[in-house]
Amino acid sequence: MTELVQLVVIGLSTGSAFALVGISFALIFRTTNIVNFAQGAFAVLGGQLTVWLVDKEWPTAAAAIVAVLLVTAIGALVGLVAVGIRGLTTPLASLVITLGVAFVFQALQLLAFGDRPHTYPAVSGRAWTVHGVVVQPQYVLIASVTVVAALLLTLVLRRTIIGYALVATSDSVRAAELVGLSLRSVAVVTFAVSALLSAVGGLLLTPIQPVNYDSDVGIAINGFAAAAFGGLVSIRLAFVGGLVLGVAQQLVVGYGDVITPQARQYELAAALVIMLVLIGWRSRKETVT
Amino acid sequence: MRLAATRLAATLAAGAGAVWLAYRLDPNDVPIYMNMGLAALVAIGLSLLMGFAGQISLGQGAFYALGAYTAAILTVGLDPDERLINPDAGIPPWAAVLVAPVLTALVAAAVGVPLLRLRGHYLAFATLALHLILIAALFAEDGFTGGQDPGLIIAKPLEVAGFAMGGVGDAARNLAAVIWGLVTVALLVGVNLVRSRAGRALRAIATSEAAAAAAGINVAAYKLRLFVLAAGLAGLAGGLFAFRLGFLSPDAFPVIISIEFVVIVVVGGLGSVYGAVLGAIAIVWLQDRLQQLGTREQLLGFDLPVQAPGVFRIGVFALILIVVMLFLPRGVLPALGDGLRRARRGR
Amino acid sequence: MTAGSPTPPLPLLEVEGLVVRYGPATAVDGVSLRLDAGERVALIGPNGAGKSSLLNAICGLFKPAGGRVRVAGRDVTGHSPGEIVRLGVTQVPEGRQVFASLPVEANLFLGAFGREFRGELVTAALRYARRRGQVQERLERVYELLPKLHELRDRPAGQTSGGEQQMVAIGRALMAEPRLLAVDELSLGLAPLVVQDLSEFLRRLNEEEGVALLLVEQNAALAFELCERAYVLEAGRCVLEGPSSELERNELVRTAYLGGGLEVA
Repeated sequence: MTELVQLVVIGLSTGSAFALVGISFALIFRTTNIVNFAQGAFAVLGGQLTVWLVDKEWPTAAAAIVAVLLVTAIGALVGLVAVGIRGLTTPLASLVITLGVAFVFQALQLLAFGDRPHTYPAVSGRAWTVHGVVVQPQYVLIASVTVVAALLLTLVLRRTIIGYALVATSDSVRAAELVGLSLRSVAVVTFAVSALLSAVGGLLLTPIQPVNYDSDVGIAINGFAAAAFGGLVSIRLAFVGGLVLGVAQQLVVGYGDVITPQARQYELAAALVIMLVLIGWRSRKETVT
Repeated sequence: MRLAATRLAATLAAGAGAVWLAYRLDPNDVPIYMNMGLAALVAIGLSLLMGFAGQISLGQGAFYALGAYTAAILTVGLDPDERLINPDAGIPPWAAVLVAPVLTALVAAAVGVPLLRLRGHYLAFATLALHLILIAALFAEDGFTGGQDPGLIIAKPLEVAGFAMGGVGDAARNLAAVIWGLVTVALLVGVNLVRSRAGRALRAIATSEAAAAAAGINVAAYKLRLFVLAAGLAGLAGGLFAFRLGFLSPDAFPVIISIEFVVIVVVGGLGSVYGAVLGAIAIVWLQDRLQQLGTREQLLGFDLPVQAPGVFRIGVFALILIVVMLFLPRGVLPALGDGLRRARRGR
Repeated sequence: MTAGSPTPPLPLLEVEGLVVRYGPATAVDGVSLRLDAGERVALIGPNGAGKSSLLNAICGLFKPAGGRVRVAGRDVTGHSPGEIVRLGVTQVPEGRQVFASLPVEANLFLGAFGREFRGELVTAALRYARRRGQVQERLERVYELLPKLHELRDRPAGQTSGGEQQMVAIGRALMAEPRLLAVDELSLGLAPLVVQDLSEFLRRLNEEEGVALLLVEQNAALAFELCERAYVLEAGRCVLEGPSSELERNELVRTAYLGGGLEVA
C-alpha cells in the first residue's frame, strides 16, 4: 500500500509537468487550429536555459525567471512563423512548420549544450515522510505551481480582454476577424502564453528528469496525449490527462515487472498505449464532420 | 487516354533506365543509389497520405524498422536459441520480404482505425509514439531482436531463382535493380490511384473534407486505405533494407529518419508521386553531402565541434521544412516546374 | 485638400467595379454601389447572387480580384477587416456568429476592443484599458438601446435564442461606434415577429443615432420596407438599382422576389 501511494505521489508530480504542456497544446489548438509540435521544445528549453544560468552561479529562482521570459519571447516568434501566410498555410502546413521549428531547436541545443543530459539541484529542504511515503519538496513545488498556473490561466481567459480575444478566436475565427482582431496577433500571444506554461513545466521537471537536446519528442508526445484526453480543446481535461498519464507511467515502472522484467523501458510505451485506448474510445463518439 | 498512355510509357522507360543504371554506376555509388530507391518507396506512400488525406505520419521510420525486423527475424527464425544452432531455421528470405509489408500494413490498420476519424492530427503523434515504442521494444527485447549488441545478423542471402541480392558486388547491383523496379511499380500504382475513381474522391477530400463527406464519400475509409498503403510501402522498403547490410540494430532507426521522410515529401510536393521520387534522390544526396561536411575537422576556417554531423543533419532538414512550408507549400519541385514553364512561355 | 473649397460631400461607402473570385469561379463580377452617410440601402438578390461575397470583400474578409472600395474617400481595397472597422464600417455577420462560449457582455466588450486593435494584441489591451471609461459609457448606451442584452449580460451567448443572438451580434457591432452597420441576412432562420422587431430597431437606430445601414437580404419585402434604396444583384452583377418605392413596382422584381404578386396565394 505504501509503495502504491509513493508511486502515485511521484506520478502526480511528473504528471503535473505533462499537464502544463498538455494545457499549452489545448490552448493553441483551440484558438489557432494548429497542433504545435514545438511544444516539447519550449519545455526542454526552459530546463536547458535554467541549467545553463544556474551553472553560471545564478540563483536558481532568477535563472528560472529569466529562462521562462526568454522562452516566452521565443514562443511569440514561433507563433508568428507557425501561422504562416494568410490563405496559403493550411493546418497541416503549420504542423510541419512547428515540426521544423522543434528540430531547429534540437540542432541549436546540440550545438550549445552538447549531447548529454543536464540537470540542476532540486529545491533544498528535508523531504516529508508521511506513513512511510516520502514527499520531496520538488514534488510539492511542481504540483502547486501547476495548480496555480492553471488557475491563473483560467482567470485570464475568463476575466481579461486578452483572454476574451483568445476565447473569441477559438469560438469563431471569422467573427473575431470581423470584430477587428487578427488571427496572427492572437496566435502570437497564444504561443507566448503556451511557451511560458511549458517552460515552467519543463524547468520544474528537470531536477527529477534531466533534459537532453532531444527530450522534447517524449515531452511533446506526453503533453499531446494529456491534451488528447480532453479532445485537444478542454483545458480542464488536459490537466486531468497529464496527472493520469504521470501516475500511469509510475505504476508501470513500479508494478510492470510482474508482466515483463524489462518493464522500466516500457514506461512511455505503456502510458501511451493507455492514452491510445482512451483516444480510440473517444473516437467512437467524436467523428469527423 | 492518350496522355495516360504516354505517361505510362514514359514512367516505364524511366523505370527501365533506373534499373539499367544499377548495373552501370560506379560500385561506390551503388549503396547510396539503393538508399535513394528505398527512401522513394517510403516517400511515395507518405506523399499520397499527406497530399490526399491531409494527414501526416511521423512514424514512417517505425514502419520501415518494423518491416526490416519482420523480414530479418522471420528469416533467421523466431526462436533465438534455435537461430544459433540451426542455420535452416526460419522461412526463405524472399517470403520474409513479402510478409514484411503485410504485417506493417496490419499494424497501421490497427492504429489508423480509431485515430483517422478524429480531427486534429492525432495520427501524427500516435505514429511518432509508435516509433518510440518500437525502439524501446527493440532495445528491451534484445533476446529476441538482438538489441544493440550484438544486433541481428542475417546469414542467409536473399535469393530469387538463383539471383542473389545483398550489400556488395553484383548482389548489391541486383538489389538496387529490384528496389528501383519496385519504385516504378509503386509509382504506377500511385498514379493509377490518383487518376482512378478513388482518386477523384481523394482529390475531393484534399480540397474539402466536408464537401467530400456530403457527396457520400467515406472520408475515413479512404484515409485509412492511404495510411495502410503508405505503411505497407514503408514495410516493403524496410524488408529490403534488412538485406542491404545483412545486419540490423535499433540505432539504424532514430526518430529523425521519420522526419527525413517528411522532408522528402515536402520538397517533392504533397501528393506528387513523381515529386516524391525526385525528392528522395535530392534529400538522400544532400544527407550524404552533409554527413561528409559534418565529419570534416574544419569548415570555412572554423573548427567543427564533434556534434557537427548531428547539428547539420537535424538543423538543415528542419530549416528546409520551415522555409518550404512557408513559401512553397506545394513543394520545391512543383514550384521549379512552374517556374520553368513560365520561363519557356515568356520567351 | 484645401480648406474651405466647396467640395461635394464624399459618399460614406463607394464601391467601384468590384470583382471577387474563388479560384476559377467568379462570385462578384464588377459591381459598383454608393451609400451616403445616414442612408439605408439594401442589397437584394437570390441565393448565390454574390451578395455576401460582395459584403465580405467590402469588409476586408477577402481580397477582391479587381475594383476599388472607398470609405469616406479613403481607398481601403484589400485592407484588413480591423482597418475597415476602425474607419467606421462594421458587419453583423450572416448566421450571427456570436462568441458562443463567452458571456454576452464579453461579446460586447470585444466589439469595442476591435477598434483599439492595430495588429498587435498586448498594446491594444493597454490602449483599451486606458479608454475603459469610454467603453463603459458606450456599453451603457448599447444597453439602453437593447435592454434585453442587459438582462442577458452574464449568460454565455451560445445559450441564448436566435433572435437574442442577433441582438448580441448587433450590439457587438454597435460597440465599435460604427457610421455604417452592414447587416448580412438579418432575417435568416428567425421568426417573422422577431425579424419585425429587429427591423424596427434598426430603423430607429438609423433615425435617432444617424447610423447608416447596408442590409443584405434575400427577403426583398423586408428590404424594401426598411431601406430607402436598393441594388438588385443577379449572378454577380448588379441588374437593377433605385429607390425602394420604384423597385417594388418593377415587374421583374415583383415576379422574381415578391412572390409574383396576386397570382400566388
